[in-house]
Amino acid sequence: MIQVDQVTKRYGPTLAVDRVSFEVKEGEVVGFLGPNGAGKSTLLRMMCTWLPPTGGTIRIAGHDVRTQPLAVRRSIGYLPEHNPLYETMRVDRFLAFVAEMRGLSAERFAERRAWVVEQCHIEEILTKRVQQCSKGFRQRLGLAAAILHDPPVVLLDEPTHGLDPLQVAAFLEFIRGLAKNHAVLFSSHVLAEVVNVSDRLIAINNGRLLIDEAVSKLRTRAEESGRSIEDLILDEVRGSNA
Amino acid sequence: MSSNRMSFAEGRRTIRAIATREIGANFDSGIAYVTTIAFALLSNSIFMNGFFLTGTVDMTGFFDLLPLLLAFFLPAISMRMWAEEHKQRTVELLLTFPVRPFQAVLGKYIAALVLYTLMLACSLPIPVMLAVLGNPDPGLILSGYLGSFLFGALFLAFGSLLSALTADQIVSFVTSTLVGFLFVLTGEERVVAIVDGLFPALKIGSFLFENFSALPPLGEFVRGVIELSSLAYFVLLSVLFLWTTGLVLEKNRG
Repeated sequence: MIQVDQVTKRYGPTLAVDRVSFEVKEGEVVGFLGPNGAGKSTLLRMMCTWLPPTGGTIRIAGHDVRTQPLAVRRSIGYLPEHNPLYETMRVDRFLAFVAEMRGLSAERFAERRAWVVEQCHIEEILTKRVQQCSKGFRQRLGLAAAILHDPPVVLLDEPTHGLDPLQVAAFLEFIRGLAKNHAVLFSSHVLAEVVNVSDRLIAINNGRLLIDEAVSKLRTRAEESGRSIEDLILDEVRGSNA
Repeated sequence: MSSNRMSFAEGRRTIRAIATREIGANFDSGIAYVTTIAFALLSNSIFMNGFFLTGTVDMTGFFDLLPLLLAFFLPAISMRMWAEEHKQRTVELLLTFPVRPFQAVLGKYIAALVLYTLMLACSLPIPVMLAVLGNPDPGLILSGYLGSFLFGALFLAFGSLLSALTADQIVSFVTSTLVGFLFVLTGEERVVAIVDGLFPALKIGSFLFENFSALPPLGEFVRGVIELSSLAYFVLLSVLFLWTTGLVLEKNRG
């Protein structure tokens, strides 16, 4: 579903992403880890066609981000970093706007709206303006908008940022549920939440791929070395900085 | 679904969705109410003042005062078009929907045109009053309205471009107002004479009057003359500014 092959991104002289390659298959939840400035958001922005790669290729659901951007955009649900939303819009109208932009018919929209409202627990804010919603509701609304059209590929940039622990738990459970028939790639700073919900973990630092491994294998490696999985990953990140 | 192409119906639906959202946002933010009411009060009262002094049953006075008013009021509509999207970062959300940048530009532009048409419609009591008081030339009035609409369409088009270049609405407003005044003042005879006087050999003032200013083509419409050249001036320049806005958005991604 997601194929990233030798992708590079330069901002002038700065190399933000350096020859990164990985794949995400249907039915997988992949956690995307890395410190601030590692290149996570840049990679996600290239996958959603917001940024063009400097080198390499990215294919989403079989479509090249460079040559088939519209087909890629139709195949993805994207929650950008900081979750930008139209502040003065009413939540129900915002969802209707997203549905129209996504080309959903009235019947399909009614069906999908009922589903996302229930799954994301946003019933009580439907008639409120976005600017009146709490941080937690805003995150859930951003997610609802990203999956409203039931895309095969879901890209979430820091989706748990600003949520309280209970909200994070509910959110991760929901992402786990999405995996049945989607490919989900989500970025986070928080090791524990990525480890708990992901099938596989990808870690990058300074724009380079450090780890691309199944969480079960990482657990085995951690147990064999007598460390926690978090320590194992942190050591690899520290090692790459040395 | 899987194709990279977009059908005409899809494109039209996308443009309509953006335009509808934008019109709603203009009313939600209050800009639509403030600009429309202020414009209606100011333009109608200035016209009435002149009308009772001259007693002429035509709208030439109204159309003559429009350019300076619009150079101030239209940037208030266009300033938020893209500057707001950049500031709130919603531009990333909008342009990662299945939409081409030019369709997004067109959607927002249509919304601005709808609002401007509403502003112009607030002057309709004037022709109604003139029809009651005398026998005005309807062709002249219609031609004046068409010219004013095209004039405003041009101002909104370069306003869109200047808004796409910044994330600050104030910067967008000030630069659009400045460019608007340039389009207007280069058509004023006194300004042309002064600029010509600065560089007599180059005749820059006359050059700008003939090739740049929006006042001469508007003047044709106000006099009831619909020339292809005047029509082409407004349409081609507007298209050029909108097309450039699309290029700027494409280039400034991220």
